[in-house]
Amino acid sequence: MKLRNILLAIMSASLLIFSGCTKKQNPNEKILNIVSPAEIKGYDPIQADDLYSGREISKIYEGLLQYHWLKMPYELVPNLAAELPTVSKDGITYTFKLRQGVKFQDDVAFPGGKGREVEASDFVYSIKRMADSRNQSTGWWTLDGKLKGLNEWREKNSKLSATNYDEEVEGLKAIDKYTLQFKLAKAFPQFIYTLAMPFAYVVSKEVVAKYGKEFINHPVGTGPYILPVFDQGKKITYTKNPTFREKFYPSDASPELKHLLGDAGKKLPLVDKVVVHVMKETQPAWLKLNKGEIDYYSVPKDNFASAVKNNKLSDELVAKGFVLEIAPQLDVTYTAFNFENKLFHNKKLRQAMYLAYDEAKANTLFYNDTAFPAQSIIPPGIAGVNTNYKNPFKGPKLEEAKKMLAEAGYPAGKGLPELKYDIPDSTVSRQMGEYFQKQMEQIGIKIKIISSPWPEFQAKVKKKSVEIYGLAWGADYPDAENFLQLFYGPNKSPGANGSNYDDPAFNKEFEVATQMQDSPERTAKYEKMNKFLAEEVVALFGVHRQAYILEHGWLKNYHPTDLHHDAVQYLNIDTEKKAELLKKF
Amino acid sequence: MSADIKQSKSLLQNAFIRIINEKISLIALIIVAIYFLVAILTAANILASDWGKEVGASYMAPSSVSYFGTDIFGRSVLQKTIKATETAVVIGVVVSAISIVIGTTLGMIAGYFGGFVDEIVVWFYTTFSSIPGVMLLVAIAFILGKGTTTVFLSLGLTSWVGLCRIVRAEVMKHKEREYIHAANAIGATHGRKLWKHILPNISHLLIINFTQTFDSAIKAEVVLSFLGLGVVGRPSWGTMIDDSKLELARGVWWQLAAATLAMFLIVLAFNILGDALRDALDPKLKGK
Repeated sequence: MKLRNILLAIMSASLLIFSGCTKKQNPNEKILNIVSPAEIKGYDPIQADDLYSGREISKIYEGLLQYHWLKMPYELVPNLAAELPTVSKDGITYTFKLRQGVKFQDDVAFPGGKGREVEASDFVYSIKRMADSRNQSTGWWTLDGKLKGLNEWREKNSKLSATNYDEEVEGLKAIDKYTLQFKLAKAFPQFIYTLAMPFAYVVSKEVVAKYGKEFINHPVGTGPYILPVFDQGKKITYTKNPTFREKFYPSDASPELKHLLGDAGKKLPLVDKVVVHVMKETQPAWLKLNKGEIDYYSVPKDNFASAVKNNKLSDELVAKGFVLEIAPQLDVTYTAFNFENKLFHNKKLRQAMYLAYDEAKANTLFYNDTAFPAQSIIPPGIAGVNTNYKNPFKGPKLEEAKKMLAEAGYPAGKGLPELKYDIPDSTVSRQMGEYFQKQMEQIGIKIKIISSPWPEFQAKVKKKSVEIYGLAWGADYPDAENFLQLFYGPNKSPGANGSNYDDPAFNKEFEVATQMQDSPERTAKYEKMNKFLAEEVVALFGVHRQAYILEHGWLKNYHPTDLHHDAVQYLNIDTEKKAELLKKF
Repeated sequence: MSADIKQSKSLLQNAFIRIINEKISLIALIIVAIYFLVAILTAANILASDWGKEVGASYMAPSSVSYFGTDIFGRSVLQKTIKATETAVVIGVVVSAISIVIGTTLGMIAGYFGGFVDEIVVWFYTTFSSIPGVMLLVAIAFILGKGTTTVFLSLGLTSWVGLCRIVRAEVMKHKEREYIHAANAIGATHGRKLWKHILPNISHLLIINFTQTFDSAIKAEVVLSFLGLGVVGRPSWGTMIDDSKLELARGVWWQLAAATLAMFLIVLAFNILGDALRDALDPKLKGK
């Protein structure tokens, strides 16, 4: 064994040397260099529950719908569907016409190695694959109880020795080669958004059958890029999919994005190669950006003061052609309580903690004053939040906090046990933990910080073995439901409601609201529920963050967004400008 | 010659005299003593008791207000460094104690009884030492969760192998010596021979080993804290250096400087002291 490994190492080393010698780079080749701040779990769409895997998967795979690249607020447009679906009046039946002539990427799994055309039955298969309990998809929650007969199919097949994909499910049918029909168990207007999430991307059964367990490392989709080799390394290189269909850069845009129409009507994708650098630490990535080896990157908190002043870039960076993009993110940071612990049923205790917490200072220390203080869970930019609303329990109001804590039954913290505060184990998380500890100390509440690696931290939340913990939630789709569901009883851990909050009255309202179509009445309902959660202080709502992205002058068409996982196909490089600007580095 | 016998000093007394007679080792001894004193004073809340208090703005540069500047929360870096001395010294002492107890016990048993017992102990420490140290530290820290106790245990449990080997070899040598045969002749039990006769004769090895384990424990704590597995909720040089990896980008160097300097001094002092002790305690060099 050992010998073989050594031989292998020598061989691969020599291969590296040779490949380095033989290939010269074509100066006109357009290469996009970007960063992924986390390792990629793999390329199986039904496991894409984190942002970073989702972004990589979206380079190769596609779904029925996508978000318009140049429209804000977010607007769904057809991708593999030929048009938006027709929805029956009762909101139950969704019928999609598929785009014709869309082909899977070439792969040995297909006869003759040529990718075949995508059909409606492929979507049926892909969605059943997500529902198949044997696959343990992390995206099952998007479908759970949503499609007629799908839960029953899942249940039944989990007891069989092998899953029967041929059995029909009432809510999921291929009417003909190009017509796909969904029937919902009950009205759920957000369903259409879940079809734009990476979970619902189309895969081919031939490829799944051919690679079996290795499917996760052999992505074959319909998208703009292919992945010739995937090894869990520090660099992932994608090349243009030679059989990609005729898809064009959009020709219409919202007023604030009109300046990005330069490439309107051009065939996508615009760059030949995409290189993703996996870099967890911010400093090396920042240095690479400053050497021109990466095309865009968000400004790290500790470099902020030197790079940005009054929302303007420093002169030095401007001289090098850098451009600063600022965009609010659809997210919220919060400190959650585990309501399985009866201690936190004491509303006044929660309110006292919120009153004691100085968010403004945390904003200065951790976000360089760029974030918006959160008054409630729903971020601005999504219908359901009253932007003028001020949470009466948001601190710092130390005197009130002390009074409230006494009313809660713990004057100056007496009688209250030491509370455990769980955090992921990064340096910044630890600093945030220490800050929280200091804030609570002011009113006499003792906090013990427990840090664990990110996967372990997530597992602890799922197992309900936490007391208080810090987290952020980013939107999956632009609807308040995606935030309010974080406190919906039936979504308790291991679902998204990691607080295990369960209030029957709130649950009922939530169920009513989520079955309503988008309307002023629904928005009013969302606002009411949002305010209720805010004043119950079901969590200590922190901030809504803003993205501060630094891009090079040669990068075209970029704008920071939360939901466009498939952004790279629209990006372009001005190679002449790059050559010119690089002289200044 | 006979007159000298009355004034003859024990090995330890002799070693002490040798150390204070040499300038460098005396300085090292004083430095170590100061660190221990600081640790005791901070533990008793006499020194740096209000390290958590804000003395100024966040990331203030070193000035007359705070000689080593302030950290992210505006706490004095000097106070934190002093408070962290306590963490370091406690870790050094506890870890060395754990490793000496385990290493000496196993080494003595193996060396004295030999045969099957020896084989088991040797197999155990050979296997144990074949696991890369840092990996083992991380694994133990993962199993036990975070905190100071974890650091004690994980470092203590991983640093006894070297001592165990030395003690085993030394005991093997000693058990064939005449004084042990004499003890045998008067019917001493195994326990008595081990603890009363052999242990005092190898005790200098333990002292030397203590100084070595002590400074490697301090260094290892810094590594663990840097990896996010170490001390949480109280200052430590490791977490200070961990903070600095981000702060350096904004030109905040003082936290790194203070922690490194504090660590540098005690590690250097312990190294010099360890060397001096080794020379001083070597019976062969006695009287030279």
